[in-house]
Amino acid sequence: MRWFETPNYDFIRAQKIAYFFSGALVIISIVAIFTMGLTYGIDFRGGQEFVFDFENPVDVVEVRDQLTEPLGTTPEIKLFGSSSEILVRVDTEMDITQTEDLILSNFESIYPDNPVTIEKTDLVGPRFAEDLRMGALYSIVFALAVVFIYIFIRFKGWYYSAGAIAALAHDVLVVLGIFTIMAKFAPFDVSIDQTIIAAFLTIVGYSLNDTVVVFDRIRENSLVYKTMNFKDMINKSLNDTLSRTVITSLTTLFVVTVLFIFGGEVLKGFAFALVIGIVLGTYSSLFVASALVVELQKRAMQAK
Amino acid sequence: MKSQNNGFKIGSIVLFLGLTIYYLFPTIQWQLEQRHINSMVPSERAQYEEENAAKLQNLREESLSLGLDLQGGMYVTLEVGTPQLLLELAGEYADDQLREIIQIARQRAFEQRTDFIDEFVTEFETRNPDGLLSRYYRSDADNITRRSTNEEIATYLREQRNAAVDRAMEIIRSRVDRYGVTEPSILQQGNNRIVVELPGVADEERVRDLLRGTARLEFRLLPEPEEINAVKQQIAEYFSNQMEQEQADTLAQAEGDSLAQDSSNDDVTNLLEVFDLRGTNQYSFGYTAGRDTSIVNDILAQEDVQSFIPRNIELMWGASAFAEDNGTELFELIPVRNQVELTGDVISEARVAFEPTTNAAEVSMTMNSEGARRWSRITGANIGKPVSIVLDGYVYSYPTVQNKINNGRSSISGLGGVVEAEDLVNILLSGALPAPLDIIEERTVGASLGEDSIQAGLYSTLFGLFVVALFMIIYYRAGGGIADLALILNIIFILGILAAFNATLTLPGIAGIVLTIGMAVDANVLIFDRIREEMRGGKTLRAAIDNGYSNAMSAIMDANITTFFVAVILYSFGVGPIKGFAVTLMAGIVASLFSAIVITRVVVDYLTRDKSADINFG
Repeated sequence: MRWFETPNYDFIRAQKIAYFFSGALVIISIVAIFTMGLTYGIDFRGGQEFVFDFENPVDVVEVRDQLTEPLGTTPEIKLFGSSSEILVRVDTEMDITQTEDLILSNFESIYPDNPVTIEKTDLVGPRFAEDLRMGALYSIVFALAVVFIYIFIRFKGWYYSAGAIAALAHDVLVVLGIFTIMAKFAPFDVSIDQTIIAAFLTIVGYSLNDTVVVFDRIRENSLVYKTMNFKDMINKSLNDTLSRTVITSLTTLFVVTVLFIFGGEVLKGFAFALVIGIVLGTYSSLFVASALVVELQKRAMQAK
Repeated sequence: MKSQNNGFKIGSIVLFLGLTIYYLFPTIQWQLEQRHINSMVPSERAQYEEENAAKLQNLREESLSLGLDLQGGMYVTLEVGTPQLLLELAGEYADDQLREIIQIARQRAFEQRTDFIDEFVTEFETRNPDGLLSRYYRSDADNITRRSTNEEIATYLREQRNAAVDRAMEIIRSRVDRYGVTEPSILQQGNNRIVVELPGVADEERVRDLLRGTARLEFRLLPEPEEINAVKQQIAEYFSNQMEQEQADTLAQAEGDSLAQDSSNDDVTNLLEVFDLRGTNQYSFGYTAGRDTSIVNDILAQEDVQSFIPRNIELMWGASAFAEDNGTELFELIPVRNQVELTGDVISEARVAFEPTTNAAEVSMTMNSEGARRWSRITGANIGKPVSIVLDGYVYSYPTVQNKINNGRSSISGLGGVVEAEDLVNILLSGALPAPLDIIEERTVGASLGEDSIQAGLYSTLFGLFVVALFMIIYYRAGGGIADLALILNIIFILGILAAFNATLTLPGIAGIVLTIGMAVDANVLIFDRIREEMRGGKTLRAAIDNGYSNAMSAIMDANITTFFVAVILYSFGVGPIKGFAVTLMAGIVASLFSAIVITRVVVDYLTRDKSADINFG
């Protein structure tokens, strides 16, 4: 079987539309992040989180209403997988033992015939949450810096680094934007916690994978076709590697989709970030990274 | 030349495979062993486990371990309370100014993410430009004198903190060992944190008490009944005046704003509303329902109320409820002297005992000779008076001294049951923590959720593998088949690497494997696509293969090195599950590079060893 045997698409021209499209995506994401705010999980916000498993299904709204008064604050309640498992997230300074006892005794009185077991409890202190938040921020910034330096050394041109970094920032921003908007209505937990940061860094690594393969071909072609103009060469390189880009993206997308569907509730948010990250990463390495390289290189030449 | 090269490759494959099997062997044995054990009837099983205890223990330790998220258990991060430690080290020199400095330094260290001890020294020096910290800290043993510089003292404080963390870890290890957890892990993180992992533990509350209990045991005298009474009267008067005042206010407001009245009733501001000042005997300060103890604490902490309580008296809660009233447990507040007569470090032995008449569990303690001598002096001087036994700020009992105790025996009664008595013995025997520990992070996963996660993770890995393998064969034909072989070996290698480095398989780790499956084919896709391209360019199969491999190499290396960097960053910044993900990602990159480049090349070379041989890349 062969797809994209000898493709000859004009990517550079398509990138005009891509500029508009990506620009819109980034702006929408930034607006969403600033107006709605990021939804942090307890890792980055501190607090207590429980997962309860009831024998029979329960109503989320009812649980929320019934727990608000005794807890003295509105807890965040979500279904966790099945309709009999719920996730309760509380911002409280109470001792975790106290909170747990309080919630359990309330469940006993609201649902006397529906026995409940505790599946998971998490406690993150406010100072520890701050530490985790800073750690996550540092790791993303650090990862981008390392990538910049590596590409700079390997490809000997700052516009390659800049193009790759811009594409990565684009991917991370848009995934963040989608997460922010999804937080309002997603049927699973999309709040930002440590595993999501791990997913972001994986997206960075993945998107880079794609970009670097294209850059590599550009480097190779620039040695072979010395007379070709820069724009055409980038277009040729994108077409040369297109088959590989699509196949690898597809196989990776297969597995993370499987993970999203069958991987269990704990990994839902993580797998979701990877699914959209891979789609975006593939798109950005085809339409964003190299377009920026062309643009930046042109300006660099003009400046000389 | 070429065959020699391949000989080297085949050799390295055999070596790598051999090592993997060697490292994975205990895991396989352990799995078989467990299946064997599970098929036995319970009585047989117990006997078998006992007879083979050493062997089983060995296998368990050497096999690939599962993270807490997969097998259930508890993960706790504790922080050594450096502020309290500094206060304690100052001992009798501690004054209000020191307390204030500590408070401010603590706040600033948190906000600016700086070291607490640095902030402490800075704050002290801003307040006292020429002052010496030696006014608070002196220690002959550590050569800290009146003339020590602030720098020397900062170093000394840092050493003390490190020592406190070391000691705390030792104590936690000993307590956890006595609790009987298989394969606990206790590690230091940063300069004042301790991470404890307890697989399979379900009783969170007990573990919290076990880890946090400072085991500061004290014997203190109680104030005279007249003294207590005087304080009670003053407080009662103060609050009944306040109540009258309030009633007058309410009356005045009655015609006006009724909303304000409602809200004022919500918060309890009057001690008499929740606290019964009468007490159960002449030494008791009073009692309240369990749920109201925190309200009482808040009211008593108010400055004007504090002014009624003499400096040499401290109010402490009884450790357990003394009575039940309409189903509400009642707790007693007991005034004790500030001065500590004797501390727990004189205890040489502790064991669980039972009170002969009531058969209630208690802890019986024996003191060393020095302690016994002082205990005899204290009891001799206080016959007919009560002595309180205080543990971690709670009064366990305050028995009246009947006669002079010469043998250094004493006991703690008023415990919740045998389990609590056992835990207490364990805590007492492991020694007192040098500083209090705060739980700053805690994660517990129930065993059933862990089991669900394993299954979900396992199934999705297998299914993902299947889909990718199928696609590769359809798209690349024979080449795809070779890539699939590499893929399967790849997963075995990843597990082998994890076992070799004694890493733990976590749920995010499984996600890492799943992701590597997707990306592992990338190298082969790059190679095969390149081979097709070369053949399109008119090259012979052999030449196309050679060129395909060599031309794809730089792209493969670049792509994998960058991903590897990201994994390293994840590993160094992440904690807990993130580290597991990073480790599998790194293992995955190494394994997939090896299997995609070396293994497939050897197979491809073998299949095309004759000039006429044909192999289909789809």
